[in-house]
Amino acid sequence: MLKRKQLDNLQGWLFIAPPLIIFSVFIFIPMLVALFISLQKWNLLSPMRFVGFANYSKMFSSGHFWNSVMVSLLYVAGTVPITILLGLIIAIMLNQGIRVVSFYRIMIYLPVITSMAAAAIVFQYLFEPNIGLFNHILSLFGLPPMQWLNDRHQALIAVIIVGIWKRVGYNAIILLAGLQAIPGYYYDAATIDGASRFQMVRKITIPLLSSVTFFVTVMQIIASLKVFTSIVIMTEGGPARGTDVLPYFLYKNAFQYHKMGYASAAAIFLFTIIFIFTILQFKFGEKKVHYQ
Amino acid sequence: MSKLRNKQRTSSWGMKLILEFLLLLFVLIVNIPFFWMISTSFKYAPEILAYPPKLFPSKLNFDGYKYIWTLVPFGRYFINTLFVSISIAVCKIILASFSAYAFAKIPFKGKNTVFFIFLGTMMIPMEVIIIPNYITLNLIGWLDTYWALIIPFIVGAFSIFLLRQFFMQIPRDLDDAAIIDGCGRTRYLFTIIYPLSKPALLTVGLYAFLASWNSFLWPLIVTNSDKMRVIQIALKALQDSWMIDWTSLTAASAIATVPIIILFFFVQKQFLEGIAITGLKG
Repeated sequence: MLKRKQLDNLQGWLFIAPPLIIFSVFIFIPMLVALFISLQKWNLLSPMRFVGFANYSKMFSSGHFWNSVMVSLLYVAGTVPITILLGLIIAIMLNQGIRVVSFYRIMIYLPVITSMAAAAIVFQYLFEPNIGLFNHILSLFGLPPMQWLNDRHQALIAVIIVGIWKRVGYNAIILLAGLQAIPGYYYDAATIDGASRFQMVRKITIPLLSSVTFFVTVMQIIASLKVFTSIVIMTEGGPARGTDVLPYFLYKNAFQYHKMGYASAAAIFLFTIIFIFTILQFKFGEKKVHYQ
Repeated sequence: MSKLRNKQRTSSWGMKLILEFLLLLFVLIVNIPFFWMISTSFKYAPEILAYPPKLFPSKLNFDGYKYIWTLVPFGRYFINTLFVSISIAVCKIILASFSAYAFAKIPFKGKNTVFFIFLGTMMIPMEVIIIPNYITLNLIGWLDTYWALIIPFIVGAFSIFLLRQFFMQIPRDLDDAAIIDGCGRTRYLFTIIYPLSKPALLTVGLYAFLASWNSFLWPLIVTNSDKMRVIQIALKALQDSWMIDWTSLTAASAIATVPIIILFFFVQKQFLEGIAITGLKG
């Protein structure tokens, strides 16, 4: 007969064994393997050859790599502020005691649950320069047609628009939950003190929402750094590498050129950037604002 | 006091009208792609190429839907996706609930360390470890099999975390009473905890199902045959081969999204509340 304590230990470990095994095989060990492969020259067929940091030095002196870094940063810069600001505005609007909030919540969330591959196909048609709906809408406002996916710079704008479309709803819903968690008596007190509506937003809502906003911003940055599907479907990194974001750069080197070592170095680079943001979230996001 | 709050926090009648108008406008804009997808999928070629574009097809064309069902085995892709997604959802609910139960209720050695390590998995994006995972699957001969599509996703730190939070709210008295009654742990989990946490379990299952249904990068890399193809990859393949047959492409897109949207309408409450919780708990 096992003692209670032994039984607890045995059962505890038994219950967590499946995830422990799968995390080890598919996450922890691969992380180390990625580091290891990044130090090798390897095309999957011929044996690996240790090359030290050659992949990294090659990468850091490659114009294509820095182009990808730049494109990824531009994508982040293009998506993050707008999705957060728009999400915030919509969350505040939804929090004004209007009717049928649940209807709006559902409708703005549809892009989030939609498959990016399907959405990207439809957007490709919408962005079509000659027959697309978007250029037609522009013409209704008297604006000249755009080249969208056929132009190096406009293609990036197009995928940024898709990225914004996909994520605004998610950010709005989380920010709305943050707004609803602010206790009403703060506003009551402000009302008694004769504060204006605008003052309340500035002095109560925005400061108390800061931790949630921070969380949403970091999550959005990480999501934007990982953008992949819309690029594969809509542009394949082009034209002229204008939308060749880091994950696509990595994918192409690994699974089209079979440069496994080189691609792994890029993967480690991508990981480092994302990791920095995750640490930021853990460090500063922990300090939750206490409402009571 | 509460009367006062309601007065201040809810806007005036006119203000609300403006807000609702703006929100409605936003909803309309955001949903243009859905409208365009459905509308295009029923158009004949001349209307597809017409400029200015026509909002609605003047005559309904079902060829797109017919083609994807007959020229390519879209039914097979659909079943594949459904099978993979349901398997992942079911396994995830079961495995995550066992782990969450251990973390919430069993005082075992090393618990906090392991929990911390589990949470750490959320810091590692799949994009980064895709090459080693491809190699692993190649080594064990799982490339282009259902195993490759299912097994790596049957556990997840997020679902364990979510369920643990939920299980911890179940009062201790209930645990003690059950243990005194000689109720084993597994039985306790199935007979007491499961019925009490139906919403949380459903939420975990739904997230898993949705994530799997929409996943793209992983199946793109680990499958290549027609037999193992899932819908998202089929969309890419169709796009590569049919290029500008927008009727068929949008029909295929509709098949990939409409079931999910219908499902979402039924379970949106669970879903959106779950999202809110994760956002707030960080």
